[in-house]
Amino acid sequence: MSAMESPPQAELHAPAGPRVLPQVRGWLPEPAWRADISSVYVHIPFCRHRCGYCSFTVAAGRDDLVPPFLEAIARELALWPLGPPLKTLYWGGGTPSHISLQAADQLAAELFHRFPADGLVEWTVEANPSDVTDEWCRQMAQRGVTRISLGVQSFDEGKLRFLERDHTGRTAREAARAVHRAGLVLSVDLIFAVPGESLSLWKHDLQEACSLEPHHLSTYALTWEPGTRFYAALKKGRVTAVAEDQEAQMYEWAIEYLQDRGWQQYEVSNFALSGYRCRHNELYWTGGNYLGFGPGAASHRRGYRWMNHRSLWNYLRRLRSGQSPIAEWEVLSPESMARERLVFGLRRCDGVDRRWFAVQTGFELEPFLAPVYDLWLAWGLLEDDGQSVRLTRRGLMVSDAILPELL
Amino acid sequence: MSFDPQHIRNFCIIAHVDHGKSTLADRLLEKTGTVEARQMRDQILDDLELERQRGITIKARAVAMHYEHEGELYELNLIDTPGHVDFQYEVSRSLACCEGAILVVDAVQGVEAQTVANAFLAMDNELAIIPVINKIDLRAARVDEVLQEMQHSLGIDPKEVLLVSAKTGQGVDQLLQAVVTRLPPPAGDPQGPLQAMVFDSHYDEYRGAVVYVRLMSGRIEVGQKVRFLKAGVTHEVAELGKFRPRMTAFPALETGEVGYLIANIKSLDQVHIGDTVTSVQQPAPALPGYRRPKRMVYCGLYPADGQEFNELREALEKLSINDPSFEFVPETSDALGPGFRCGFLGLLHMEIIQQRLEREADLDLVQTAPNVIYEIVTRSGEVIEVHRPQEVPDAGQIAEFRQPMVRVSMIVPSEAIGSVMKLCQDRRGEPQSTEYLSPTRAMLIYHMPLAEVIYDLHDKLKSVTRGYGTMDYEFIGYAPADLVRVDILVNGKRVDALSFICHRSDAERRGRAVVKKLKNELDRHLFEIAVQAAIGSRVIARETVPALRKNVTAKCYGGDITRKRKLWAKQREGKKRLKSIGNVDISQRAFMAVLESGSES
Repeated sequence: MSAMESPPQAELHAPAGPRVLPQVRGWLPEPAWRADISSVYVHIPFCRHRCGYCSFTVAAGRDDLVPPFLEAIARELALWPLGPPLKTLYWGGGTPSHISLQAADQLAAELFHRFPADGLVEWTVEANPSDVTDEWCRQMAQRGVTRISLGVQSFDEGKLRFLERDHTGRTAREAARAVHRAGLVLSVDLIFAVPGESLSLWKHDLQEACSLEPHHLSTYALTWEPGTRFYAALKKGRVTAVAEDQEAQMYEWAIEYLQDRGWQQYEVSNFALSGYRCRHNELYWTGGNYLGFGPGAASHRRGYRWMNHRSLWNYLRRLRSGQSPIAEWEVLSPESMARERLVFGLRRCDGVDRRWFAVQTGFELEPFLAPVYDLWLAWGLLEDDGQSVRLTRRGLMVSDAILPELL
Repeated sequence: MSFDPQHIRNFCIIAHVDHGKSTLADRLLEKTGTVEARQMRDQILDDLELERQRGITIKARAVAMHYEHEGELYELNLIDTPGHVDFQYEVSRSLACCEGAILVVDAVQGVEAQTVANAFLAMDNELAIIPVINKIDLRAARVDEVLQEMQHSLGIDPKEVLLVSAKTGQGVDQLLQAVVTRLPPPAGDPQGPLQAMVFDSHYDEYRGAVVYVRLMSGRIEVGQKVRFLKAGVTHEVAELGKFRPRMTAFPALETGEVGYLIANIKSLDQVHIGDTVTSVQQPAPALPGYRRPKRMVYCGLYPADGQEFNELREALEKLSINDPSFEFVPETSDALGPGFRCGFLGLLHMEIIQQRLEREADLDLVQTAPNVIYEIVTRSGEVIEVHRPQEVPDAGQIAEFRQPMVRVSMIVPSEAIGSVMKLCQDRRGEPQSTEYLSPTRAMLIYHMPLAEVIYDLHDKLKSVTRGYGTMDYEFIGYAPADLVRVDILVNGKRVDALSFICHRSDAERRGRAVVKKLKNELDRHLFEIAVQAAIGSRVIARETVPALRKNVTAKCYGGDITRKRKLWAKQREGKKRLKSIGNVDISQRAFMAVLESGSES
């Protein structure tokens, strides 16, 4: 991967060329910036405070930076040619629900100015339960939002405190009901394997979550990301991670419990009622094209991957001074791209369809699988119905240990 | 200029590490005008950087000084000796070239284990001894007590002891006078056949081996054909000379003189310390006391990066040119790949070689836990030498298992005697004697297996005596013991590099420690892993690494794809470098953790 730096004096508002805006020239290789991407992610890096496990780009308690951020997003959007109508849109963070309605409106306006919203089938906004009211939900629905991803994490006060969340179980329940009342699709995020958490506590969280009748559930094992306060505490031995076996038990229990109640697991951490998978996220896992805006946002188009500067301050400064917001980019060979599709595709429960794979990548699946195929079948890590291959439950559970062999 | 034997004094300085031998040598060179004060580098005799760093003299050196006493000019040859027990044989050969020794004791530290060992060695060689207390300028000097210690431990008459400060020069003149008046001149027949003792050598890239000799009798001259009796080779003398302190050529060397000999010798392999040089025309018998240097400690040296094997070989070859006392043979370990089995005179020698390799060749090395050489008498009566645990035959074939024993002398503060005795007992030491040198210090002597000494005795002694204890050891011979080879098995496959030899009663404890340690170093696999310690087919310890149950990244969104793919690609590369034993991937780090520490038992 090579880092691209533009000359600092690059013009932001030079006249548009026949196919592309000249400003982007030199920041990314040409094939990356064609105007054919209909999925967009916007990173909204504001939060009331930063939770100890969070490693995302976040400026906690700096609402004063919202206006410059909106200005920067506008500049970043202006770098791109007018796009096709959007199909999926995802506002993540940070806490998108943290910014004011006016700010949200301004952002949406800029966005839809570049990417028409008429064809939008899914617009997800991540929300913190404390921000979610009936009024907020109504406003969101009015603007075209279809789906709220609620960062519940837990209903247990002790666990929420440990995770440094600012809401209670009660707030979470009320927020979920508000989402329902506004007729929006409800997705609930839960975290498990928090230090000290018992299986029974986790069962209780899952039961509570199910009682809110979400359309979609994400259950994430707590990850200890370098650079977070949690990670530092773990390294210093101030906290102890949940043992692998116990974590596995929680994970397996969740899979069984949710499947029994009609949720289908369609990815490592994601469960959906029929018809309610997150289309935007599925793009990530199937090698689709998407553009990301905002600090740290990632984009992909046909083997070209790039990512913005992660620091909000860098991001703002660079856009203000006409520099590229892109921190790094890479281009994958068709073969690497095919391998990537296989590896990330196997994290999905549908697995990888042979025909789909051949059409998407131009390669047959068999040669990539051959080195591990027999062994994985024999060890019960992989199953094959002739059309698709997929990891078994056991295979999925240890996928980080086995998938690298396919790269 | 040649001196008649009556005007020659050959002597050495013996001392414990850090007692000021080098500073004293510098002062002697300065006082005798051999080196001018302004040219004086501190401690000129220790010319290897490493020696300077460690404050230890590794190789003997010899300097000829001129000194006027009562109107007559004397040549004083200072033969520098290594101060450490590992080079005991070299010390003994250096001593054999002297008629006298200056015995230096630190006025603060007092008599130490090496002081005693070296003093006795000098006495055994019938050298006249000038006892000296050095560093009397220090405020903490406790001259009276040290005098008492010298009397008790070495039987030295306090009246004979000179008080010196090598640093300030106080007492150095009296010391030089004593060298002339108290030490005897060399004996030997100047008219007799040539008999010269080789006591050291170094390698000069342009001139080949430079052989350090002391003429015991006869004379040697340039152009003469000489024979090295033990090496069995004949050479023509190309150059003779003395160290003043730089090499200065002379046409001949006479009886009693000390100097060097160059004879177009291509390799130090042919130069044996203790060898006798004689004339081809008129040969004399070999001098007594010659021995092949005995390697006491072995360890494996492996390049930390497997790629550097050839670099390591070159570096070892280069080092061995100047130090033929260590040997190395290539070996391949399942665990560590290709490397070398190296034999050393002792622990310090091993450490020095390793450091020189890392510094001079810039190599990153993995060193396996050192081991001693065992002797095994097989059922068929054959005696085999075992250099590494893998060479131990099956128990059924062993009639007797023998290990090297040493006599360890330790000088420790009186209040630490109890804990030192406990320490020695734990390490299978047999007490020989306990003697108080003064009310506050005592000398303990034990017979102990060398394996226990090299394991950790020195570190442990330092810790139980809060740094005040010193020790020295000498090899006394092989003794039968109830020894076993313990193998470490991973999923039933023996991991060669982890086998070790120990006393049967320690086998379980040490086996368990290694197994536990290895278990903690192994990553979970897709299957369960058994880690076992076994004597033959009998398992004495077992740990299980359970199968991997969960290893899956929870979140994998837009920005994570690149990050994750790269991480996995790196993991995959890393896995290629792991050693696979019984399908179990073991990292170099795991091996090192187990090997380097031995075990904490």
